[in-house]
Amino acid sequence: MSDMDPILTLDKVSYMYPRSTEPVLRDISLQIRRGEFLGLIGPTGAGKTTLCLTLNGIVPQFYGGRFFGRATVAGLDTVEHPVSELAQHVGSVFQDPETQLISTSVENEIAFALENLRMPREEIQHRIPRVLDAVRLSGTERKHPHELSGGQKQRLAIAAALAMQPDLLVLDEPTSQLDPVGAEEVFAVVRELNRELGMTIVMASHAAEEMAEYADRIALLSAGHLVAVGTPEEIYSQVNLLEEHSLRPPQVAHTFYRMKGNGLPIHDVPVQLEPALKSLDALRSDCQVVPLPMQPEPPARSLERLLSVKELRHVYPDGTEALHGISLDIARGEYVLIVGQNGAGKTTLVKHFLSLLQPTMGTVIVGGTDTRQLPVSELARRIGYVAQNPDDQIFNSTVSDEVAFALRNLHYPAPEVETRTAEALQAMGLLEAREQHPLSLPKGDRARVVIAAILAMKPEVLIFDEPTTGQDFQGARYILDISRQLHQMGKTVIVITHHLYLMPEYAERVIVMGKGTILLDAPIRQAYHQVELLRSTFLNPPQAVLLARHIGQWQGVDLPLLTPQEVADCLVCGPRQGQVP
Amino acid sequence: MSAMGFQTVGRDSLFTRLDFRSKVVMVAVISTLAFVWESPVAGAALTLAVIAACLLAGVKWSYLKWVIQLTIPFYILLLLTHGFWNTAQVKALTGKEILTPLFTFPQHWWLIGGGSMSVEGILYGCNVICKMLTLVLVIPLAVFTTDLNNMIVAMVRAHMPYKLVFIFSSTLRFFPLLFEEVQSIIEAQRLRGLAVEKMGPLQRARVYARVAVPLILGAMAKSQQLEVVLQSRAFTGSPDRTYLHESVLRRVDYAMITFFVVVLVVATALYFGAGVGKFSWLLW
Repeated sequence: MSDMDPILTLDKVSYMYPRSTEPVLRDISLQIRRGEFLGLIGPTGAGKTTLCLTLNGIVPQFYGGRFFGRATVAGLDTVEHPVSELAQHVGSVFQDPETQLISTSVENEIAFALENLRMPREEIQHRIPRVLDAVRLSGTERKHPHELSGGQKQRLAIAAALAMQPDLLVLDEPTSQLDPVGAEEVFAVVRELNRELGMTIVMASHAAEEMAEYADRIALLSAGHLVAVGTPEEIYSQVNLLEEHSLRPPQVAHTFYRMKGNGLPIHDVPVQLEPALKSLDALRSDCQVVPLPMQPEPPARSLERLLSVKELRHVYPDGTEALHGISLDIARGEYVLIVGQNGAGKTTLVKHFLSLLQPTMGTVIVGGTDTRQLPVSELARRIGYVAQNPDDQIFNSTVSDEVAFALRNLHYPAPEVETRTAEALQAMGLLEAREQHPLSLPKGDRARVVIAAILAMKPEVLIFDEPTTGQDFQGARYILDISRQLHQMGKTVIVITHHLYLMPEYAERVIVMGKGTILLDAPIRQAYHQVELLRSTFLNPPQAVLLARHIGQWQGVDLPLLTPQEVADCLVCGPRQGQVP
Repeated sequence: MSAMGFQTVGRDSLFTRLDFRSKVVMVAVISTLAFVWESPVAGAALTLAVIAACLLAGVKWSYLKWVIQLTIPFYILLLLTHGFWNTAQVKALTGKEILTPLFTFPQHWWLIGGGSMSVEGILYGCNVICKMLTLVLVIPLAVFTTDLNNMIVAMVRAHMPYKLVFIFSSTLRFFPLLFEEVQSIIEAQRLRGLAVEKMGPLQRARVYARVAVPLILGAMAKSQQLEVVLQSRAFTGSPDRTYLHESVLRRVDYAMITFFVVVLVVATALYFGAGVGKFSWLLW
């Protein structure tokens, strides 16, 4: 078989899950060449996971249902050959780093599939160090998976798949639950496997910037249809098409697309940062920088300190010092973004506001009272905490009971429970669903149930802890829009997230944490432009910021721009119209 | 206990060098003796021997203390039950018509008036406590001194169905996850005004029952994901597979197995022939 031969062929594949009335995949035809890196993009529910499971025969062999058309991998029909045989040709890596590791040590995890394939012990021992080396995990052989970071767990899953020496590696959103360091580790390993070892890759991901960088081709899937296939330039430059399917283009593509819309002489919309910087330089002689339009003044905030932390130090029972004497004030009505790597101390900090953790040293003041004097139940009235997984926060059998749960615990009189429940349901648009079981609702609605349950307590502060992790663009925006709505209602909002590109439209102030300290506390327009500092803690500034800084360097000025639209609007080509702000 | 809920001793000893199968024989013999012996003296000696062996093998005293403290309420209950009410069995064991009263409640006391605690009942209660302690403490002696891989392969070599062994190993893998999930659910409930710290045991039990709903639903979702992962790793549940780790019985294992079988045979002979280990042994 030559390198140009397809390793995978899908011929008019359609599939319906059992008890489903609609096909999840519709008439999909696609070929993947040996050594190719195919990126799979699409909104939640597009059929990406089902397509990934089709490639290793789990669909339809494990799930059943109705399968039409033909899928072949390395010449094997995925319906006729058992999954265990296909597993030797298709390695699979899934989204959740926790549930896909099944053994009690790193070496056992790699050995597991090989043992199932009845490989001799000596051969297993030979392969383990090789694949661990390939994913940069040498030396961790005896560790329990629980001791690994998120990125290491995903790399271990890749190693376990590689051990079978597959022809094709299929990764289904492997970075969606990782912090930026973990995601970068996984992308780096996948890139190496593809470029240096020639491994064929199929990877579903929402990480538009990385996909544009690494993929050879992109396949856009929506509602089970293969909408478009092409190079990253061909797909990501079609910003309208992406927006139509609730997808986010890389910020450079978005910026140049808007510039083109503004009449700038752009021929090809770049989708990667380096070509975009070159394209910008090409515009330099013809275009000029215009002042940033006046931003609407944020409404005047109270100067009253609502949350205050002084010299806070926290040491966990195992001796880990998670916070090293930090001090911080948050005023009533602020919208604060807290960013930093896993282990930076973000969650440890907010858990002190809620008295879920007690300071080892220092003080935490909420509304003028030391949290040591306030029980968790009392603080819960003042501070609402929305954790990442809504399903861990649902305990009742109707939406209405879920929302009233806290009010009953706090012994509010029955009429007030009823009034507040109705108000919270109304605010979150859940009145219609009040008698439904919360877990019967879609994930986005379940998040709203949890938020309604917290709102019913009328807290002054709302903390959203990683609300965008594991969400697609639309899902993330949906939750952040709710946070903005609450902010506009006068609530103090704190959001913890790694996704900096999502936040310019929401946050006013940014606190950057690293290794248990506050590295930076500044308004968002200043904070996002501290590029070196952000990178020092492995946070990636949005591409729009990098483009703005590049343009600013032309004239030696700072352009505190944050979004693709702002960057696009700051350049005008033709006769001179204005001066640098 | 570590985050894994599974301890491994750091000290190299005879116990760490034994194959898990030898330790299973040891556990079986010790448990049988604990069950059979009614004598509080023999029972206490066996318990002390197991505790000493645990400490020699490197099981931490803090762990043993924690286990003993945790089970103290049961022991008090056992002493009261056997001391006051288990008269028929104790009479049969001692052959006495009348038991020696330790103290008697006045007749006019409501409900418990006239109740008498016997010396023999208390002694038998002590034996039952020793039985329980021996059974509880011999497990860490075998498990904490065994490498998990050796344990799993030894189970397969001992002809335990592979699917059962797989469930055992998966439980150890997923226990920390489940534990974290329980913590986050309880945390979420506290943040919705549930003052667990002010609750009595019954109310707390109700709270924990409520935790079960999201926990079970989460576990179901995870188990389906796990099935997909297993499929992709060529898992069929068949015992016809190879193993990375080995489990080999060496000379020391055969010696230990022989030793414990001999101990069982001799102890049985002494029990029936000379009354060693019977309730009245060394007492009457």
